[in-house]
Amino acid sequence: MIGPHGNGDLVGERYEIQEYVGEGGMQFVYLAKDILLGRYVALKTPKNNAAQKRFRRSAVVSARVNHPNVAKTLDYLEFDERSYLAEEFIEGNDLDKGLLRKFYAVDPYLVARLFHNLSKGLWVSHDAGVVHRDLKPSNIMLVGDVSIEAVKITDFGIAKLADEELTEAAVGGGESITNSQTAVGALPYMSPEAISAPDKTAYPSDVWSLGAMMYEVLTGTKPFGTGLMAITEILSDKEPALPEELLVNPQFAGLVQQIYALATRCMSRTIEDRPTARELVQECETLCYPIEQRYLGSVRDARYRWGFISENGTDVFYHNDSIYGPGIADHDPVCFSKFPGGGADRAHPVMKVKV
Amino acid sequence: MTVDIPSRYQLVSACGSGGFGSVSIYMDSHLERNVAIKTILSESEKERLVDELQGLMSLRSNHVVQVFDVVYEGDSLAGIVEEYIDGEDLWDSHFPQSSPENYLKCLWQISKGLADIHEAGIIHRDVKPNNMKLDEKGIVKVFDFGLARPTDLGAHTVGFKGTYGFAAPELFSGDHVDFTPAVDVYAFGATAIFLLSKSLPDELLMVPPSPLSESQVRTIFSHLDVPIQDVLLGCLSENAENRPLMADVHRLLSKYLLRDRHQAIATHKGKYHNLNSGNRLISLALNTVGSLKIEYNGLGFYVKDRQGEAYINNREPDVGEEIPGSCVVSLGSASRKYYERAFITFDVSNPEVVL
Repeated sequence: MIGPHGNGDLVGERYEIQEYVGEGGMQFVYLAKDILLGRYVALKTPKNNAAQKRFRRSAVVSARVNHPNVAKTLDYLEFDERSYLAEEFIEGNDLDKGLLRKFYAVDPYLVARLFHNLSKGLWVSHDAGVVHRDLKPSNIMLVGDVSIEAVKITDFGIAKLADEELTEAAVGGGESITNSQTAVGALPYMSPEAISAPDKTAYPSDVWSLGAMMYEVLTGTKPFGTGLMAITEILSDKEPALPEELLVNPQFAGLVQQIYALATRCMSRTIEDRPTARELVQECETLCYPIEQRYLGSVRDARYRWGFISENGTDVFYHNDSIYGPGIADHDPVCFSKFPGGGADRAHPVMKVKV
Repeated sequence: MTVDIPSRYQLVSACGSGGFGSVSIYMDSHLERNVAIKTILSESEKERLVDELQGLMSLRSNHVVQVFDVVYEGDSLAGIVEEYIDGEDLWDSHFPQSSPENYLKCLWQISKGLADIHEAGIIHRDVKPNNMKLDEKGIVKVFDFGLARPTDLGAHTVGFKGTYGFAAPELFSGDHVDFTPAVDVYAFGATAIFLLSKSLPDELLMVPPSPLSESQVRTIFSHLDVPIQDVLLGCLSENAENRPLMADVHRLLSKYLLRDRHQAIATHKGKYHNLNSGNRLISLALNTVGSLKIEYNGLGFYVKDRQGEAYINNREPDVGEEIPGSCVVSLGSASRKYYERAFITFDVSNPEVVL
């Protein structure tokens, strides 16, 4: 048993706990079977009282957003003095487990696609008047495994409606929904205003967080480092640098620079300089990226300029120019796309998998 | 008969009727959003409600309404709580007629919904504009699965069920009718006609419908590209076996919706050359050794001309062949020294339809 439930528990006569999935900042997440409808859902319940208070609010808020790039809210219920939110269950990993921990840096084609999809999700959320306020890799779900089929924003745990702000400020004392927790969001992805004036977080703060995440996926490092040191960096006027080694191969360099420029614009210290989510969608539409199946294999024969990857016993040719991130050597596990070629198929791009 | 609706749902308006039963709009007080609750009017409709639930539960599609909850009376199903779409159905809406692009976007979404339905092993059996709703963001969703049947049970029915004008000719063939997903494909074709002019030709309204001639169909769809005319002509075939698969219809429509939106980038020695609707042809040549011309025709990138030693991914491409997503063009055969050859990488974008 982890959190309030063990496997087999029945919640609200409807949701049967299958297994513990993990926890977000303020909630436990379970895989549960909706026995009424015979399907699986992600069942979330807050960890403590402070979180409990805003839980229903965030359920109502997330239910307003209906888009393929946002996890669907299915149900909200109260049972045994706890609140529960049932959400579309996503088979896959979050951005952290699915990409950041797997690769040193993610090739720009995949980053462009992520950026594009997340911008769309963010746009419809903002269009519905919803500020997420806690965008971070563990709140981004990737459907599928090696090949990512879809991307969805989830966990509007501390989301709120933009127009609630004034009312709350007017009515609320120390106990109002947004003030009850001082820090809003996850540190490495927090905008300057989210640190210095948490009650001022609005649409542009989400845009900052998205930019910070995209920088991290593309380069493999957080834009402003980790821990409390990040605060100083975020509040300074330092711009996260683009590692030069990512520009070595010309086939990637153009797109890498475009994504970097877009991500840094999202992280503009002057709020007005950040693109809106709608503008982000339009910018992403101009990026040139193929969407291709991904495969896993291991390097069989790495030579000076090129080599072969073995994918289930079949050779796939690669050239060093197609490697994104660190170089590869014999036996290294790799992830790649492939295209028909003479003799053997040709891999592109190729990324080393962390062991 | 009246069904007791749980107090969680508060009546907003008791309005329309679906293909069967009655549909009312309720406010879900848990999530503060409107839902549509479909209840049956008599015991005899129970079977259809169960069919509808099974149809809806077995698939997940961005273009099919979602089920949130069910209402039981005693042990038997009495109502389905579905996603409420605030908008007109396509019978009333003027959106498809408002521009050729909106028309195509509607067809594209309907074809996606139906392709998803068929992939889940279901036949909708009552495809018509009244059973498709358009929300304020332009998203079309298919609903009313009251006649839906699983494909694998050897679908047949006794007597006529469906809607005149949209029902395929084979459904009129006698008392015992066998049918396949092709009935939905026919209805899609009829819907495509209806969405152009809000009317159906007399031939389709006859009982049973009499087939349209090829020239009639081409006249109706004369503003569309010939390949789209071809596929719609196929949808309306009298012989069910000649109708295309919904997934293929969808693929073709995607291609045309994205016309002129692809780009390709050719990279040579760190220099980028863009290929797109504004710049459709690129000629790659190395002295007199070899040359390759690649052209963008609005739908894809194709080899237009090849002379001498020119290769794509180490193989000899044919003129007319489509360029894969990412590849290397090499000029000069592998028997030459590395510095006597030229390598140009090619990346082709794969834009998605963004609604």
